[in-house]
Amino acid sequence: MQSILPHLINGLTLGLLFALIALGFTLIVGVMEVINLAHGSLFALGAYFALTTISGGPLATSEFGQWWLTFPLGTRYAVAALVGPLLAGLVGALLEVCLRPTYGKASLYGLLLTFGAALVLEESIRLAWGAGEQNLRTPGAITGAMLIGGMIFSTYKVYAAGFAILAILCVWLFLEKTPYGAIIKAGAHDSEMVRALGYDLGRLRLFVFGFGAALAGLAGIVMAPIWGLRPHIGLDVVIPAFLIIVIGGVGSFWGAVIASLLVGLSVGLTGAFVPAWSMVSMYILLILIVGFRARGLLGRKSALEN
Amino acid sequence: MINLSDIPPKGGSPFILPMAAFLVLLVAAPFLVARFGLYHYLAIEIAIWIIFAMGFNLLFGYTGLHSFGHGAYLGIGAYAFGLFQHNVSISLWGGLGAALLAAMVAGGFVALFLSHRRGIYFALLSIAFGQIFWFSSIKLHRITGGEDGLLGIPRPPLQIGDATLALADNRIFYGFVAALAALVVIGLWRVVNSPFGRVLQAIRQNEMRARFVGYDVWRWKWLAFTISATFAGLAGALLAMAQNSAYPDVMSLHQSGLVVMMVLVGGGLVNFWGPILGVLLYFLAREVLGGLTETWLLWYGLMFVVMVMVRPEGLAGLIGTARRREAPVPPARIVETTP
Repeated sequence: MQSILPHLINGLTLGLLFALIALGFTLIVGVMEVINLAHGSLFALGAYFALTTISGGPLATSEFGQWWLTFPLGTRYAVAALVGPLLAGLVGALLEVCLRPTYGKASLYGLLLTFGAALVLEESIRLAWGAGEQNLRTPGAITGAMLIGGMIFSTYKVYAAGFAILAILCVWLFLEKTPYGAIIKAGAHDSEMVRALGYDLGRLRLFVFGFGAALAGLAGIVMAPIWGLRPHIGLDVVIPAFLIIVIGGVGSFWGAVIASLLVGLSVGLTGAFVPAWSMVSMYILLILIVGFRARGLLGRKSALEN
Repeated sequence: MINLSDIPPKGGSPFILPMAAFLVLLVAAPFLVARFGLYHYLAIEIAIWIIFAMGFNLLFGYTGLHSFGHGAYLGIGAYAFGLFQHNVSISLWGGLGAALLAAMVAGGFVALFLSHRRGIYFALLSIAFGQIFWFSSIKLHRITGGEDGLLGIPRPPLQIGDATLALADNRIFYGFVAALAALVVIGLWRVVNSPFGRVLQAIRQNEMRARFVGYDVWRWKWLAFTISATFAGLAGALLAMAQNSAYPDVMSLHQSGLVVMMVLVGGGLVNFWGPILGVLLYFLAREVLGGLTETWLLWYGLMFVVMVMVRPEGLAGLIGTARRREAPVPPARIVETTP
């Protein structure tokens, strides 16, 4: 029992981080019934924008850049954590505009368009930041290791997991307790009625897609120090995200969170005993669950089934 | 939007103009490739991908099942061919048989899970299975050679009766691949115009209606998937021969997505010949754009995005609409409905 506890905690941490990744994905799927395969690329984009913000990027040699670099890393990191998601959100909003011709057609077209967009974004990242692996620097306060209950944890992972819980709660509160959340949920439930009540559905979709993309970018910034940053990380990220959505059930918020924890646990536990096969365990989990419950754990009927 | 079912049933006679054009192109390809200063191997690659994409479109365009993990069966065919040569005997027909059988069994097994699914759930489960195969090919190092791939696969000579023909030369090998591609395309033309093909199209148009008419839809979907995977296995075996090796790379989601892109860009959703156009366009884009810029995938991806936005019926659809403008509007047809 003593030996399995660290792996359980490890798995739960991973699950929380997966939930953070899947958060924006489930929002977009729920409201727009679009599987956004570019989610992973937006994730990478957020982290890359943060990277450039911290280092000053092409402005680093100018007067402004010099002034910017005099700030401590912590300040620059905090600003980057705002700028990255914001820019990723803008790119996401642009993608939503491109998606407009596919509304009302088979769900395949949205999937295909975002697949193409993922390819374009990945190549653009390669062009702009190079193909090599990069490192997102984190402030000294949240690096290193800490001791909790006689076990050693990476400080950063503890903060990241805490941040994931915070983000999940914030998004949940936003969806459940604010009038905007009510409109979004209504849009997911019956978009025609929402339009009939006088809400601008186009703007709602634009906002939701941008918001989902910004969440992806935020997840990218949180995950980059753990997983590293390379142009093709998008594909490694989007697959767990959609697995989680399918296991949890399309459009279900808590279904996605539970599925994330399950996937995290299964990856963490298999990682402890058969490390080479840890990534396969989540696919097997998917096939087992979807094999018995076609709509996932807490799913409801969706237009995507057709 | 026009669709595949607008093609009137003609009984599937292969003696039609596009088929003749395709066969002429297949014969002329090595000369064309040489004339444009491209290397000979390209023609082989195109012919193999035509087999793969045409078999894939039976599932994708005709049955309307959007598999995003089809590269797995290409890879399984390639590994099966290589492992047969390494462990059983050096034999062309044996290797091809092993590749077809392996892909068929794998596809048939996966289809057991998939045939009850529709829409996005079908797509996602097909990705999951594809990823499992891809992962296994990387991790089963002792069998598949891991990420280094299965190397040193020989190209056994072609034996028909007593006659033997060495395939080591790329020119002769192209002849073999092209002959198989011609057989596959003619065979598929017969299949999609047969009663079987019409049932597949009925399932695509409205699965529930097809079930109410009395077809055991699950079994037909299972069959379509298995047949399509078998064609992928054939393409995989040829790829293993062409490269003299098999790599896990072809099984990745990227490659599986690539064949979807090719089929869609070419217009496989609306035309039997769409996948061929798509394969040609992809490889020409790779050679021409790839010669100009290293980021050719960026431009290809952009072209694809624009195509999905404005012309989702693809290249063949574009040609079809242009021809339709000249011709009078056909009489009323069955309107496609979504269940």
